[in-house]
Amino acid sequence: MNKLTIFLREKYLVITPILLIISIAQLEQYSQLTTSGTFGAALRLSIPILLAGLGGLFSERTGIVNIGLEGMMIMGTWFTAWGGVLYGPWYGILFGLAGGALFGLIHAVATVSFQVDHIVSGVAINILAVGAGRFFNILAFDDYEYASSTASPIVEGEIGRITLPFISGGEINGSPTSNILGSLEEQNIILLSDIAGLLYGVTSNISYFSIISLLMIPGSIYLLWRTPLGLQMRSVGEFPSGSESLGVNVYLMKYTGVIISGALAGLAGAYLVLEGPSVYLEGQTNGRGFIGLASLLFGNYRPFGIFLGAGLFGFADALQLRSEESIHGLLIVIFLFMFILTARNIYQRNIRSGVLSGLVGLAFFVWFNNSTTIPIQFVYFTPHLTTLIVLSFASQKFRMPKSVGKPYKKGELS
Amino acid sequence: MTRMKSKWLVLFIVFGLILTACGGSSDDAAEEVVVEEEPAETLDAPATTAAAAEPEEPAAKVCLVLDIGGLGDQGFNDMAYDGYNKALADFNVEGTFLEPDEGGENRGELLDLCAADGNDLVIGNGFLFAGAITEAAANHPDVNFAITDETFVQGENIRSMVFAEEQGSYLVGVAAALKTTSNVVGFVGGVDIPLIHAFEAGFIQGVRSVNPDITIISKYASVPPDFSGFNDPVKGKEIALAMYEEGADIVYHAAGGTGIGVCQATAEASAGGEKVWCIGVDTDQITTIGSAFPETQEYFLSSMLKQVDVAVYNAIRDVVNGDFGSGSDGGPAVIRENLASGGIDISYTGGYIDDIKDSIEAARADIISGAVTVSRERP
Repeated sequence: MNKLTIFLREKYLVITPILLIISIAQLEQYSQLTTSGTFGAALRLSIPILLAGLGGLFSERTGIVNIGLEGMMIMGTWFTAWGGVLYGPWYGILFGLAGGALFGLIHAVATVSFQVDHIVSGVAINILAVGAGRFFNILAFDDYEYASSTASPIVEGEIGRITLPFISGGEINGSPTSNILGSLEEQNIILLSDIAGLLYGVTSNISYFSIISLLMIPGSIYLLWRTPLGLQMRSVGEFPSGSESLGVNVYLMKYTGVIISGALAGLAGAYLVLEGPSVYLEGQTNGRGFIGLASLLFGNYRPFGIFLGAGLFGFADALQLRSEESIHGLLIVIFLFMFILTARNIYQRNIRSGVLSGLVGLAFFVWFNNSTTIPIQFVYFTPHLTTLIVLSFASQKFRMPKSVGKPYKKGELS
Repeated sequence: MTRMKSKWLVLFIVFGLILTACGGSSDDAAEEVVVEEEPAETLDAPATTAAAAEPEEPAAKVCLVLDIGGLGDQGFNDMAYDGYNKALADFNVEGTFLEPDEGGENRGELLDLCAADGNDLVIGNGFLFAGAITEAAANHPDVNFAITDETFVQGENIRSMVFAEEQGSYLVGVAAALKTTSNVVGFVGGVDIPLIHAFEAGFIQGVRSVNPDITIISKYASVPPDFSGFNDPVKGKEIALAMYEEGADIVYHAAGGTGIGVCQATAEASAGGEKVWCIGVDTDQITTIGSAFPETQEYFLSSMLKQVDVAVYNAIRDVVNGDFGSGSDGGPAVIRENLASGGIDISYTGGYIDDIKDSIEAARADIISGAVTVSRERP
């Protein structure tokens, strides 16, 4: 029991908004907040961001800033389409991984071997990737029907989907099984149905690709924190000359990190293609690589944190795409949360913060009370805004790798 | 050691330059499409063989600049390209077509490039060209320009080709209202701009004309200045899936490349239960999206046809024939395509709406005769 109280005390900043959202979702007009459809969409929308964020993690943990994630993702989309058109979707994934890794390698050569400024190299990669995508596309698909300079032909075949049997009503040998979560969701019991909605959304009709992507989270945790290689990689991002004095091959570690980073970004691109329209389209990534970078900061350079950041963004994005009314409901969540913060701050004799959050809460209350909808520009901006708000109020201590972004030359004391 | 390194550096820079050069050139380089003599023609008419052997001086040079989304959007840009190709085949015309870069920032440069290259006609495909084409037309007064979907341009040497999208959308609205069983229909717009509002407005009026109690869910994929909504199938899919979950059984899209995702969502939603429909836009999308993505083919109830190809073809034809014309009072010459002119239409391909053809044709007759006027403004 004691553990639970400690957990609640530490994490109430996360738990209260979730509880608030669940309570608001009981109202008819805001019910979209916790349906399985919303959570399913949130998962599909967050996975490319998650993969890009994990990609950023591997790079930054070895001390290389990777702003070129977007470009590597673009290469991932193109190479996936290329491999997919030639050999089928599973090979497409491999090609996407390789394409991303190739651009990761370019970034590594520039930043590690030649000590080019990481930002400059990353921006160059982003620009290069757009042009390269179009160039390759013309080169490879010139003779194909339904292809053009900005679109590839369709990737035939599917990755396949699965629904969990017994719990979410998946089929075993063609015969349907019980759908416990689905029926629970329809019962409309507070909390229980909402949680069932969440679980049903992420366990029904889920692509194998999504499962593979989610497995990347424990995979990265294992690789970075449970293996000697991971320790070496992380040490290089913290104190490279110290690592070198202990016999770690700093360059090799940095190369490994950035190449894995590119491969994961390439995987994100592959997801966009294969779970999206099954073709490469120019501009398909739409800045998701940069959002991935933001989720990396949000997650404080930890895989599970990145998942939370990507999930929050995906959830907000799913909401704005699916139900503009429920975005209005989020205003209630915001002002109630602000009032709770006010109470806490005043209780802690932190008067100034208390007054500030109280005023912000009041402003949101007035806004909610005097409107029935949210201005359309705000609706589309919701995912970014939510991430921003949560980032600024979650007063977590950022702990980035110590020597990230610093050039390192072999044999020099950093 | 340092010398070794600088050697590598030079190599790397050279490698980088080559790569960027490739990327750059593909960005703005022209893909020249020169008309070739058709062998069939020369076979049929031996008399012309001699003439064809020696390359003839082309009657005109035209240049088509496509908009973001580019070729392969299975809609608007592909259509313009079709019209252009058809004109190249029919007339003795030399043609060039260009695609802007990803964000479309280099529209102005491409237009200038075309105009300076000695083209007789430069076509900017899409309303986003309005500013750039006004400027280019002022800089090159002896070149003819044409723009689709926009009249707000200045210059006597510009022809603007606009369409009554609301009329065609009204017809597919009538079809949707007659075909829906759930009494919920959806509309997915690409970007929240007045041009796309016209599609939505026409659709709403068409649906309401049959049954005012039908619920219409509308959603746009992005708001300006973010134009990614014309090219984000992932979002289109999620929006449409949500609409089908909410009970819609027919979704009409006017969203460019995003529409691919919409109709893929239709196929996906149908797999889980009752058959639902999507309605295409611009081209007869049962044959465009439906062919490129065969799993969507049987879900196209109809398509609203906006025959950009005809407008582009006519513009080229008029330049060749020398009757391109010009606007008066310093303004552009405006060509308006609508149901009456045939530039706007509804598709019966697939045969899914043949049973309600009479009602649709009655609505068409009403619009043409003026008994019904369709507004471009959303109610």
